[in-house]
Amino acid sequence: MKFANVRLLALHFIRNAVQPKSFYLIYLLFVLLTVYATVSGIQNHVVQNDIRKSYQVKARHSWEANPDKHPHRMAHFGTFAFRIGSPLGMFDYGLESFTGSTVFLEAHRQNSVNFSDASFSTGTLRFGELSMALLAQLVLPLILIFIGFSSIAADRQNGTLKILISQGANWLEILFGRSIGLFILALLFVLPVILATLIALLLYGNTLTSNGLWWRFALIVLGYILFLFVVAVTTILVSAQSKAPKNALLRLLGIWLLMVVLLPKSAQTLGSYWYPKPTKLAFQSAIEKEEIQKGDSHNPDDPYYKKLRDSVLAVHQVDEVTDLPFNYGGFVMREGEKISSTLYRKHHADLLKTYQDQNNMSRYMALLNPYMAIKQLSMSLSGTDFSSYIDFQEQADDYRYELSQKMNELQMQYISPKKKSGSEGKTHVVDHEHWSAFPDFVHRAVPLKKSIAEAALAFISIGLWGFLSFGLLLLTAKKASAL
Amino acid sequence: MKYKLFLYQCIRSREVLLSLVLILVLGLSGIFIGNRHLSERQHAIDEVKDYQKTHFERHVSLHNDDLGLLLYYVKFSFINPVNPLSGLSIGQSDVNPAIKRITIKTFEAQKHDSDLINPMNLHSGNLDFSFVLIYLMPLLVIVFAFNVVSEETETGTWRLVSIQTRSKLGFVITKLSVRLLLMVIVLVLLFSTAKVVLNVPFSTNLMLLFAMAFLYVVFWFALAFFVVCFKKPSGFNALLLLSVWLVMLILWPAGINAFMAFKYPVPEALNTAIAQRDGYHTKWDTEKLPTIQKFYDHYPQFKEYGYRTEGFNWLWYYAMQQMGDDDSQKERASLTAKIKLREERSREMASWIPNMHMQLAFNRVAGTSLDQHIDFLNSTEAFHEKLRLFFYPKIFEEQKAESIDWNQFEPEYFETSSETKPIFLLTPLLLAIVFALLISIPKARKL
Repeated sequence: MKFANVRLLALHFIRNAVQPKSFYLIYLLFVLLTVYATVSGIQNHVVQNDIRKSYQVKARHSWEANPDKHPHRMAHFGTFAFRIGSPLGMFDYGLESFTGSTVFLEAHRQNSVNFSDASFSTGTLRFGELSMALLAQLVLPLILIFIGFSSIAADRQNGTLKILISQGANWLEILFGRSIGLFILALLFVLPVILATLIALLLYGNTLTSNGLWWRFALIVLGYILFLFVVAVTTILVSAQSKAPKNALLRLLGIWLLMVVLLPKSAQTLGSYWYPKPTKLAFQSAIEKEEIQKGDSHNPDDPYYKKLRDSVLAVHQVDEVTDLPFNYGGFVMREGEKISSTLYRKHHADLLKTYQDQNNMSRYMALLNPYMAIKQLSMSLSGTDFSSYIDFQEQADDYRYELSQKMNELQMQYISPKKKSGSEGKTHVVDHEHWSAFPDFVHRAVPLKKSIAEAALAFISIGLWGFLSFGLLLLTAKKASAL
Repeated sequence: MKYKLFLYQCIRSREVLLSLVLILVLGLSGIFIGNRHLSERQHAIDEVKDYQKTHFERHVSLHNDDLGLLLYYVKFSFINPVNPLSGLSIGQSDVNPAIKRITIKTFEAQKHDSDLINPMNLHSGNLDFSFVLIYLMPLLVIVFAFNVVSEETETGTWRLVSIQTRSKLGFVITKLSVRLLLMVIVLVLLFSTAKVVLNVPFSTNLMLLFAMAFLYVVFWFALAFFVVCFKKPSGFNALLLLSVWLVMLILWPAGINAFMAFKYPVPEALNTAIAQRDGYHTKWDTEKLPTIQKFYDHYPQFKEYGYRTEGFNWLWYYAMQQMGDDDSQKERASLTAKIKLREERSREMASWIPNMHMQLAFNRVAGTSLDQHIDFLNSTEAFHEKLRLFFYPKIFEEQKAESIDWNQFEPEYFETSSETKPIFLLTPLLLAIVFALLISIPKARKL
């Protein structure tokens, strides 16, 4: 294989491809779509985050404006956690529209994360959203197919392939030359997307305490470049093995449809078929049941809490809870919160395990399907994937737990032990300065390490596909015939 | 005889046969997936029925003497029942909960609670029957029709045809109608399977869905007709039709969705969430009298229970809870208005694009649309109000829990109205067909 020949063939391919006017039309359209996707991506990101941030402030004001009152009232007054969209969400929306944005945090209760965009949308949302990622991972491969399907099949059909080979070019050079040519065109197409993302990040990328933002960006770019290489090679290989351009086109479109539409949907469907999730009622009542078994704080005669009280009384050598050096009601609630949170977290971890099992079908399918691999890689590194969402949920629940326990401790410390129950009125209260002393919720970006770990399998898949494409090029070069 | 030959000519091609089999298999799996969705929902409903009884028993035995506290805990179920048609078009019913379990406290705090959801499942979407119909059927039409003229010109039989037939246009139309007939057979097969598997009663709604599916297929044939009339080579036709498919099924809807997302965000939801929280909770710090006064302004019929302002009492407590709803009314109204606006805009834009219109129309007939979910939420609110009015006097009179017949509180069902005038569902499709045929006329005359 001579490098000069490969270069010549690649240049020749590019020159041929850019000759017709339709090429410029497609390129122009693609750039326009990129501009549109960039503008709407930025708009969406900025508008949503501005809204959420301003309500985070509003919720905080409301919290701090509370007068002196019983800490348990504050534990129920609670606060809100608003999910802040990650900056690379401008590039890849990921699950953004399907995950809730707001959760109300209060004592005893783990509320659901509500107000996803999907819950306020009509069924048309399921057609997808136009993002830069969608253009690069779904539309661009189709364009490459359109440009490259006839590359070798047409030469074969009109006989130029024979001439080419008789003139001294060998198969390896032809395949490499054309693949590289198509790959360079792919880079030409993806360049505006990369530039647009870069600009968007420079202008609006500082929304979340940026977490390895540029590393994420670099890895995403690398991932897409590898992906486009695989697409370019596949297109050329299928063209090389087809008798006529029409056959090559049909085959390539079949592959596209399978990889982009059918497999991803089927994988997720199969995953949730094999690992059914519990209903909300089953989930909640399982927790409730275990809670009651452990100790029912609602039941005044519950043996667990009776034993607890007796042991506390014994330690402090008093006969009545009102003689304890701290408020016993706060103590019981602190215990209850500990028990119920531990139970909730256990069950929630099981639920997440079920979701993970459902999603694993897609994760592993990504080994067979480079499109699914790039999709997952892109979402994970953009911080808009499943694990980033769960990370938010966990941050919010940790904050909720700390807030409740802080309030219980304030009650133990500052509320008179004589006040056995009830939180009404202005006599048994805690100074309002404690409210602003408790820090506000801050949504931290998902750690880079975690995102990389999530994207690892997808990266491996794309890397393997890169090698495989090389291998197939070599193999095809050996076996191919010009007839 | 002629038709038989045409039919033979059509299914002789390997690609055509393969895609026919593929679409049947996918259609059947779509129906199967829909069926599973139905049985999952039914299971959840049965679960609620069983649970509610023991739930009441436990709390009544614990808090017999304290009805106010009892109603702090107990939840009543309101259910959006399973509609067999939703197996055909799962729509928004995977994201919106079909079972609401509510206490008589502030309604707004419970209204938007979401179900347990794996967002990855929502993101990849359901491979249901409507998906197969809307995304994949057009591809089948393209495979059927892209070369009805070009295969003749490319094999050299077109000249023969132009001599032997009276009308070339008639020839093309007959060829296309044979293929359309084949598609109709596929549709009939799939719809009858769906009817049996999903246990759908024979109704106008089912017929309406079939009619829409038929018109949708006809629309794609009309588009294909427009393209083949140019008498370009097969490869060109295939490319062009697929580009049209790409633009209509992916780019336009995706572009519109991206537009909707930033044009109509819903800050009202967050505003309402905070308003209802503050509406209730701040009342713990204010004087009791104004709260109770406001409560009586809303419900003058309860004035007889007086103005108890000393210490904690349930009248005051539930008056405060009521304020969560009453004091957030302005915010709630603007949230409702925004959702309505989004729904209308989405529907308007969709009516210009047949595939988007199909999705919305299918969801509408199947009872899985956004506005039907909003109806369900509104009915839940009415159900909630009914419970309040029933329990308020009993709490204020400090009745014993056992004096109430708890068996009367079976889960209640929402009655979906999927009534829509067929004209609204069918017209956009008919207009699209007419449009495609009109633009074909110039070239068709010169075939």
